[in-house]
Amino acid sequence: MKTKENPMTDTPSSVEKPTDPAIESGLERLTPDRIQQVIQDVLKKETGPRFKAYVETCMHCGLCAEACPYFLSNDRDPQFMPAAKVKNTIWEMLKKNGNVSKDFLRRAVRISHLECNVCKRCSMYCPFGIDIAYMMLLVRRICHKLEITPQYIQDTVNSHSVTLNQMWVKDDEWIDTLQWQEEDARDEFEDLEIPLDKMGADIMYSVIAPEPKFQAGLIYQAATMMHAAGINWTMPSTPGWDNSNMAMYTGDNEISGRIARAFFETAAKLRVKRIVMGECGHAFRSVYDMGNRWNSWVMPPFEVVHALAFYHELLTEGRITIKEKYKKKVTLHDPCNVSRGRGLHDKAREVVNMVCEDFVDMVPNREHNYCCGAGGGVINCGPPYKGERMVNNRVKAEQLAATGAEVLIAPCHNCHSGLEDIVHHYDLKMEIKFLGDLIYETMDKKIYTPGA
Amino acid sequence: MSEKTSWDWETELKEIPFNEWKTHFNWVQAPQVSQNGESIAAVVNLDEMVFSVCVNGQVWEEEYEKIWSLTSVSDSGFAAFVARDEEWTLSVNGQEWTHWCDFIWQMMKSLDGQFLGAAFQTDSEYGVIVNDTPWEDRYENLTGAVMAADGTSAAVVQVVPMPGADVEAFKKGVFSVACNGVPEDRRFLNIWDISFDTAGRQMGYGVRTDRESYGIVQNDTLWKNRFESVWKPEFLDENSLLAPVRINGKWQLYKNDAPFWQNKYDQLWHLTLSPDGKDVAAIVSAPYGRWRVAVNDTVWHVAWDTMISDIYFSQDGSSLAAVYKHKDVWDLAVNQTPWQMAADMVFVPCLSQDGSVVAVVIQKKGQYQLVVNKKTMASGFSFMADPVISADGSKVLLKGIENGIYKRRIIRV
Amino acid sequence: MNSFIAFIMGPMVWISVIIFLGGLTFKLVGILGAVRQKEPYIYSYMTLKHSLRSIGAWMIPFFPRSARMSPIYYGISYLFHILLFLVPLFLASHIVLINEAFQISWPALNDSVADGLTAGVIAALIFFVVRRFRVPEVNYLTSAMDYILILVVLLPFLTGFLAYHQWVAYQWITVIHILSGELMLIIIPFSRFSHMLNAPLTRAYMGSEFGQVRQAKDW
Ligand code: HEM
Ligand code: HEM
Ligand code: SF4
Ligand code: SF4
Ligand code: SF4
Repeated sequence: MKTKENPMTDTPSSVEKPTDPAIESGLERLTPDRIQQVIQDVLKKETGPRFKAYVETCMHCGLCAEACPYFLSNDRDPQFMPAAKVKNTIWEMLKKNGNVSKDFLRRAVRISHLECNVCKRCSMYCPFGIDIAYMMLLVRRICHKLEITPQYIQDTVNSHSVTLNQMWVKDDEWIDTLQWQEEDARDEFEDLEIPLDKMGADIMYSVIAPEPKFQAGLIYQAATMMHAAGINWTMPSTPGWDNSNMAMYTGDNEISGRIARAFFETAAKLRVKRIVMGECGHAFRSVYDMGNRWNSWVMPPFEVVHALAFYHELLTEGRITIKEKYKKKVTLHDPCNVSRGRGLHDKAREVVNMVCEDFVDMVPNREHNYCCGAGGGVINCGPPYKGERMVNNRVKAEQLAATGAEVLIAPCHNCHSGLEDIVHHYDLKMEIKFLGDLIYETMDKKIYTPGA
Repeated sequence: MSEKTSWDWETELKEIPFNEWKTHFNWVQAPQVSQNGESIAAVVNLDEMVFSVCVNGQVWEEEYEKIWSLTSVSDSGFAAFVARDEEWTLSVNGQEWTHWCDFIWQMMKSLDGQFLGAAFQTDSEYGVIVNDTPWEDRYENLTGAVMAADGTSAAVVQVVPMPGADVEAFKKGVFSVACNGVPEDRRFLNIWDISFDTAGRQMGYGVRTDRESYGIVQNDTLWKNRFESVWKPEFLDENSLLAPVRINGKWQLYKNDAPFWQNKYDQLWHLTLSPDGKDVAAIVSAPYGRWRVAVNDTVWHVAWDTMISDIYFSQDGSSLAAVYKHKDVWDLAVNQTPWQMAADMVFVPCLSQDGSVVAVVIQKKGQYQLVVNKKTMASGFSFMADPVISADGSKVLLKGIENGIYKRRIIRV
Repeated sequence: MNSFIAFIMGPMVWISVIIFLGGLTFKLVGILGAVRQKEPYIYSYMTLKHSLRSIGAWMIPFFPRSARMSPIYYGISYLFHILLFLVPLFLASHIVLINEAFQISWPALNDSVADGLTAGVIAALIFFVVRRFRVPEVNYLTSAMDYILILVVLLPFLTGFLAYHQWVAYQWITVIHILSGELMLIIIPFSRFSHMLNAPLTRAYMGSEFGQVRQAKDW
């Protein structure tokens, strides 16, 4: 047998690796005993037949390689292939019964947090449907318990644990921002309201913390649409308004569950019927798929309607009408968490076609889209890793360039920021917009009256 | 509850035109109804950036740039947060507090209406204010403020500065509980869900002591056991604190740091004590995804697939009502019996003192209905506040809007 | 010697078949039980409809995009798996043996066709080996065990092939053939060949998660 590259020392080429103070100080504190004990504990107590089946079923066939944007972007470097990420992390931990070195762990943190978007594309390429993303999250869970999670994403989890939102937005800042957007939006609709804590409203609208923090204009736009569409809606003034969840991506399942609980209980307390959320992918995954499960809710206890589906509803019901379609040539990025994660890609296309004149699809698309490269918490690991993120998603840039579109619609916050970086880095000269931006721009600003 | 007897339970119908307000003002926000049902109020817009509160057609004297969180307080009054010249305070029935601040939120009221409190921020410093008396000490950050029946207030406060994204500083614990503004010594990574005992003297809360260890603090003392997670603790009496704790992926109820209930559940939360302190109920899930009510560690034989949102005891502890969702519709169950209303929404039920009468407002096809002991007593309303049952349990007070007119109706059971 | 041959052609066949089938059954029961015990949530998300939908989609040749992206390997592997079952089950000399033991028989493949197909299986296995050497991402994943497993499959086919042609040491080859055939059967439940059992389970679970929860396709 030929010896393989050593996974401990052999880190992927091309970009410089930053050192992360949180990883380093975390590693410093660790003892071999502690490492072994944590890994054994997680593997023994927190995994079961599912993990076992994945490990013993993988035939090392390499079919999953073709799925992964990291692999494709790094000139087919085998280390970036999905199964290789498992091999270099959890298989090794299993084989050594948790007795792994700090160098090994340093590499495992990087593989699981920075070289995988937990986008689940590979599960569609593995003939057995092996869930690589699940195993990467398991590695993250181990890193979380070993306290070697990268600094920036850990800070967002800390924020979640204290404020129940991702960006240390304080209670008063949140409410103040909503009131300020309401005031601004009254330039367009004199009697526009962002109803706070309105009991019994039909819809609770929820956003992710970066909106009040950096992009308050999006709340303004959403309020305008709600008002024009004549929706009986509300927003909570209390923690629980943020639907984002970084804890689910660091393997801090306890905090992740706490966030999801607060979210749904806010809706329950307000006695709303449905929850509509802004254009965010991972947040949707949190409340639709992951956070609910930790709390023993098989499915979310309230219907959660992603913005894409909500726009579709507003447009097809005629609650919002488009005055004049958007002229520029647009393309659409399918956020994994709402296409592969919820099958909304067809609705998304219908909405785009209702709003835009000239739509060109990118290939591959729908469930088979490539992740933006920012998702799964990767972008949240912060600026130090931006360089490699650009290298690691070259395929996305190529895919975008091939469309020849002027405008890229990215109906997900993470995707939006991630693609912004890609477009800039690869000098693609594309404008990036949320679908809501386009609807806001093209809609008839009049109030819907039923039957009219 | 004594004051309920002084309310008017005789006049069968009182009406106040509500929709007509819309002709007097630019716009009228969602209505609030006083507890005794004698008054209905709403924030109204008078001009650009000019708001006031209209109560039974009378507008508060003062006008404000902004008003929010209009709430009914005591029997017939209303309070709201109001802003003038970018400064905020609380106004009770049009009477402003003397202290103004940069922002104010989270209205807290004691059951008897004696105490009103809120969290506030001034110059980026945070505190709690109760009955117009603000805390002396202010903090960098404040979350989870609570107020006891006697006006004692507490909140989780940040006591050590922490630079942005400093995960090392966070690890050391920068949060503490401040009671009436005075911080406790002990710091934690996180503190959640402060509970007071009925007298307002003892405190219990959940904490995180390191990345993966959770604990319960009972009167300044941290329980010895560590858990995978904890939910809000509640005082059974002044010497016993109950808390749902997570061990090996399952939830169990602990009392004073030792197992209290023997069963382990997939979920266990919303601890609810009967007012006489005899029974302990909680919402549990067992097995995964099947929601039940557990009373003294015995589960109801009925289980639902979606959610139980909240549970309520009658004053004498004899009846327990649960609001739940099953197969996409909401319903109420009283003492294990589902009412089978298939509602779009079920609001907070009211139970008579002896538990024999239960009244609740529900929504169906966009309309509000009042249901008493499974029987629909009124429907076709465009809005209803939660009902009240008279002290002797013979009458139900309906508060709602029908055809644009606010109606206060007394319904005999 | 004769008693040894009688043993491996008699009781040992029984033993290996029982271990093969019993092992798989035991394993299946074990998995289902462990799921109930440790990960009961899995059952909450499984639906028959979406399980079959996914398994079905992956059975249609070249239907999944993944298959179309690696058509050669996928095509060869697809045929390999069919022949793996087809050839031994419809081999005249096997059927004769079974007929002698149980007086049951079914139509057999023409010997020269079977011989050709056997050569096909051997070629496929050689292709797998070459691929493991040549394709970097596959090579990266490959460990000694992967070659051993291929060898385990290769042996009965190769020895059967040699035995049929009777080129050398016929008797010895036959003995090795029988032993290696039995070895393979015995190994299946205890090696990654148990993917025979796991494949439909993992596929069904992923198919259900995608179909039922995520309302998307997984092929
Ligand atoms: C379990 C006990 C087995 C016995 C007793 C057995 C017996 C035999 C015998 C007697 C022959 C005939 C050789 C000849 O023509 O002279 C044969 C051929 C063959 N056997 Fe088996 N076999 C067994 C298992 C297997 C297994 C498990 C496989 C493959 C999975 C297999 C594959 C073959 C093939 C491919 C040939 C003939 C190839 C050709 O015609 O070129 N056998 N076997
Ligand atoms: C009926 C049940 C079976 C199913 C559904 C199945 C399916 C698969 C799949 C999906 C693969 C992955 C590569 C590919 O797509 O071709 C594979 C590989 C493989 N299977 Fe099976 N298999 C089954 C039974 C068996 C049995 C019984 C054996 C041998 C005893 C076997 C031997 C192999 C080998 C050797 C490979 C790896 C080829 C390589 O080295 O790349 N399979 N199987
Ligand atoms: S989940 Fe996505 S990013 Fe991660 S290995 Fe699979 S395809 Fe690659
Ligand atoms: S495609 Fe599936 S079986 Fe093949 S190497 Fe990847 S994970 Fe393993
Ligand atoms: S950021 Fe967008 S594309 Fe990327 S994982 Fe999330 S949803 Fe997918």
